[in-house]
Amino acid sequence: MEKMKQFLKKKEMGILLILIITMVFITAGNSVFIRPDNIMDILSSNIVMGIAALGMLLIIITGGIDVSIGAIITAVTVVIGEFSTKVSGNLFAIILIACATGALLGLVNGLLVACLKLPAIVTTLGTMSIINGIILFVTNGKYIRNLPSSIAELGQQYLFKVSLPEGGFYGFPVIWLFWIGAIVLTWFVLKHTVIGRGIYAVGGNEESAQRIGYRSKRILTFSYVYAGIMAGLAGVVHTGIMRQVDPLAFKGFETQVIAAVVVGGANVLGGYGTVLGTTIGVLFMAVLSNGMVLMHISTFYQKIVIGIVILVAISIDVMQQTMKEKRMIKVDIKE
Amino acid sequence: MSFLEFKNVSKSFPGVKALNEINFSVQKGIVHVLIGENGAGKSTLIKILTGVTTPDEGSEIWIDGKNAHISSPVEALNQGIVAIYQDFSLFDNLSVQENIALGLQITKERKVINWKQLKEQAKVAMQKVRLEAKPDELVANISVAKKQLVAIARALVYDVKVLIMDEPTSCLSQGEVKQLFEIIRELKEDGITIIFVSHKMEEIFEVGDVVSVLRDGQYIGSYDKDSIMVDQLIELMVGRKIIYGTYQKRKFHKSLLKVENLTKRANFKNISFKLYKGEILGFTGLVGAGRTEMVQALFGLNKPDSGSICLHGEYISINSPVDAIRNKIGYVPENRLLEGLIQTQSIKRNLNIVILKELKKGLLLSNTAKDKSAKKWMEKLAIRPIIPEMLVGKLSGGNQQRVVIAKWLAAQPEILIVDEPTNGIDVGAKEEIHRLLRQLSESGMSIIVVSSELPEVISICDRILIMKNGKIVAEMGEDVTQEMILNKAVL
Repeated sequence: MEKMKQFLKKKEMGILLILIITMVFITAGNSVFIRPDNIMDILSSNIVMGIAALGMLLIIITGGIDVSIGAIITAVTVVIGEFSTKVSGNLFAIILIACATGALLGLVNGLLVACLKLPAIVTTLGTMSIINGIILFVTNGKYIRNLPSSIAELGQQYLFKVSLPEGGFYGFPVIWLFWIGAIVLTWFVLKHTVIGRGIYAVGGNEESAQRIGYRSKRILTFSYVYAGIMAGLAGVVHTGIMRQVDPLAFKGFETQVIAAVVVGGANVLGGYGTVLGTTIGVLFMAVLSNGMVLMHISTFYQKIVIGIVILVAISIDVMQQTMKEKRMIKVDIKE
Repeated sequence: MSFLEFKNVSKSFPGVKALNEINFSVQKGIVHVLIGENGAGKSTLIKILTGVTTPDEGSEIWIDGKNAHISSPVEALNQGIVAIYQDFSLFDNLSVQENIALGLQITKERKVINWKQLKEQAKVAMQKVRLEAKPDELVANISVAKKQLVAIARALVYDVKVLIMDEPTSCLSQGEVKQLFEIIRELKEDGITIIFVSHKMEEIFEVGDVVSVLRDGQYIGSYDKDSIMVDQLIELMVGRKIIYGTYQKRKFHKSLLKVENLTKRANFKNISFKLYKGEILGFTGLVGAGRTEMVQALFGLNKPDSGSICLHGEYISINSPVDAIRNKIGYVPENRLLEGLIQTQSIKRNLNIVILKELKKGLLLSNTAKDKSAKKWMEKLAIRPIIPEMLVGKLSGGNQQRVVIAKWLAAQPEILIVDEPTNGIDVGAKEEIHRLLRQLSESGMSIIVVSSELPEVISICDRILIMKNGKIVAEMGEDVTQEMILNKAVL
């Protein structure tokens, strides 16, 4: 009972509650929303954001931010586009190349932030521009098409496929495995590894982390490299769904990813954030935009609503902290 | 038997020698107190011992007859050197048990956390210090006293041989201090060597066995507790005998400012004093005694919880620096580099910034007025060279300080508050600033000087108020000496 109470008190449950309420409202407005195929569509089309947000979560817990995430994913898709059309169509080789590309670009961000102590936002703004420039130089802004089927059909593959009598089918999309795998891996890293706890420690108090033996530079670098690897996976999934490579596909993507992580309860000042919260945050953003489309709300309003959601999420967080601090002062006086 | 030995330990930073060939040894199983003024090198020594900072070439630390070669925090922890810091150094965003035992997982070079072991180790350590808290509660949610226990428990999970406590009592109440000393005695019985850094004489004599004094990066000596008196220790700590020009202590009758029972929780308590017209009133005491916080309240930078301020016989409220300036109060902050001056702008701009309103002609600022005013004050205060366009950052420390003072003089205050007026400038320049402050007071301005430098306070102030733990503990005037002040400020 005690455990249950504690569980319900957690921040994540608040966001989940808001998610459910939102879903009820949208369903009331347009019942198409709650149909299984629509729900599956929402999930599939937000896997890329879901995976990228997991990487962003680590960086945000350290107190950093990565606005180059969209550029990194694009770079990954271009590399695997070139690789798969010119070298090999082996899916495992493609995944490996994708993660390696993401990790390398993440490493550059990480080293700049950790070793040169540059502010994360400025660093990643710089690398974003550089990466985007190189992408345009390499691709001339043109799509890469005619990808081998191993990658191009990844988005159409299902496990446990069951055909329905009236046509169509149900099944478990293979790309969901990427998301589930990334969720489990990130949860394990953050919760059960020494370096994962170090990410919280450095985000909470860098000097103290060094005093108990953490090397904060390594931990910062690791979080950017990990985000790069997640960007690699996201790039594979994206290419598998789109069946081609668009060098401009991720313009503005970083805002959505950061918004999802923050709405999911991570603190932009560092120290707090969970995999569960982030994933609920991604689902919330996904449901919100899908719902607004279904309710025929114009794109302009959609942008405004998303902006308001981000601001509200951050202010609730800040207000809760202020109130908690006030309560703490009273406790100290009483004792 | 000496257990821990410092051999020729030095540390240089660009332009400063923070530690100069420190040589001394610490016996096993005693409480060895380290004292010294701010900047004496205590914290640098501790950083070297805990592996956070690497010392200069040739420095050695020996433990139990062997060169310890401490080059990283992990190495220090593995050799049983553990520190408890003044700010506790905890993670508010992690649970109590993780705060206590996470470090062990790092020093044991584990990759994956063994939660069962971690919980068990935390539990044992919590029992040792009698900490009652939920192990999985976030540290952000527990009280300050419990945080202190978490900090101690964290040290005890290691195989501690040397335990460093850096001003451990500064955030504790009397009862908590007692409990801490109880724990210290138990640790001593277990054969743990404790290095205890503190300012507070009564504590040093209650809990310490041997006292070592550092001053200006030098090792002065180690003394057995029973063979030395408080005032001797103070003299060793202060050491330097710089004599400034002596000014006559004046008597005044016309009261200008009356402060009554000014209180701000956790900063200062029941501060009452009078300031006379034309007087220089000094506030001194240890760093952290609440002096700066208190004068900032007079300038509207730190809103007090209660109390009243009475100027010219009328009660006034000062809620912001704007209010203070309107009441003709000026404030020269402690850190002129950060707070007092805009380094990247010209002398002229810095000088005119407080009086922009007066330099206005219609809607615009008058350039001729700006130039005239800047030149006037530069000449008056002998700021050299007289180039109003020169960047403030290029001036010497003494000249910079004169610019800050001139800036406020331009606003023609009746009360000028100066916090650490001669911090970081050379002796000659200090004397000139002293002379300037005296001149200003002769012309009828009342000045409040906040300073840790006792010879300075004694030299220029007409009266001196001594603060300790947020309260005024004594007032001194005629025939005051450094020892008298320190006795009040420290004891």
